[in-house]
Amino acid sequence: MDADRLRAPVARAYRVMAYVTGTMLIVLCFVGIPLQVFAHSDGLEKVVGTAHGMLYMVYLVVAFAMTRLVRMRTASLGTVIVLAAGTIPVLTFVVERWVTRRYIEPALAAAPAGVVTEAAAGR
Amino acid sequence: MPDAPAAPDASAGSGVSPQPRWRILVTPRWIGWHLFAVATVVGMMWLGDWQFRRALAGNTLSWAYTFEWPIFAVFGVFFWSKTIKDELNPPAQRTGQRDEITLPAGARSPGASHQAGPARVPGTGQPGPEDIELAEYNAYLARLQNEVKSHGKWHGLR
Repeated sequence: MDADRLRAPVARAYRVMAYVTGTMLIVLCFVGIPLQVFAHSDGLEKVVGTAHGMLYMVYLVVAFAMTRLVRMRTASLGTVIVLAAGTIPVLTFVVERWVTRRYIEPALAAAPAGVVTEAAAGR
Repeated sequence: MPDAPAAPDASAGSGVSPQPRWRILVTPRWIGWHLFAVATVVGMMWLGDWQFRRALAGNTLSWAYTFEWPIFAVFGVFFWSKTIKDELNPPAQRTGQRDEITLPAGARSPGASHQAGPARVPGTGQPGPEDIELAEYNAYLARLQNEVKSHGKWHGLR
């Protein structure tokens, strides 16, 4: 099935986006905003803030696709937390670890992309 | 919400038959979720409008957010409709991820093994008792393995 082939790349894209978005958010919250508030220099905040906004849109799409492919329930706290994690500093990394352990790795182990399916078809 | 007024009639008419699947969407939990979805989408549109007014007032950066918020609002609607769709037609995973172990050929389900014994016809290629016992024991081991597979891990937010 298509889902089996998409699972690994989408999961990888999700993890990359989680790290990129999470890093942007940390720079924004712990460097950009303090600079804006205390040093009255909003250059960094503007650039990183906009970048995070754009990246979060990509993160949302990729993360949602990932939750479907690893068979998380849509109407569940876990899915909502995964999607929201891209807007909460540090949580992105925690959630990425949890999702990888709890859902991505079991899902990939259950259906190793392509290999098993082809072997089964050959018999 | 065209379905809302129909709810009392449906329940009054069918006293015995099981409730239709969509009735789950009008439980307090789901009504709360619907209200939350509507509130967030309206809030996002309002934020987009606010950024639009700021952009018109001369804040260049606000142009980016003017388009961003409606996109988030659209995603909110999309996510909400997906949750409803999933709830009405649960994906196949629920059955696929059951703890059922496929028994090897010739093995019976553990409960049925004793009754199945005398029914065996000799000389018709039926598996011998050792085969069945071995297959059942393997299935038992597989079941145990399946049960302990996730032990020792954090199960929060399940």
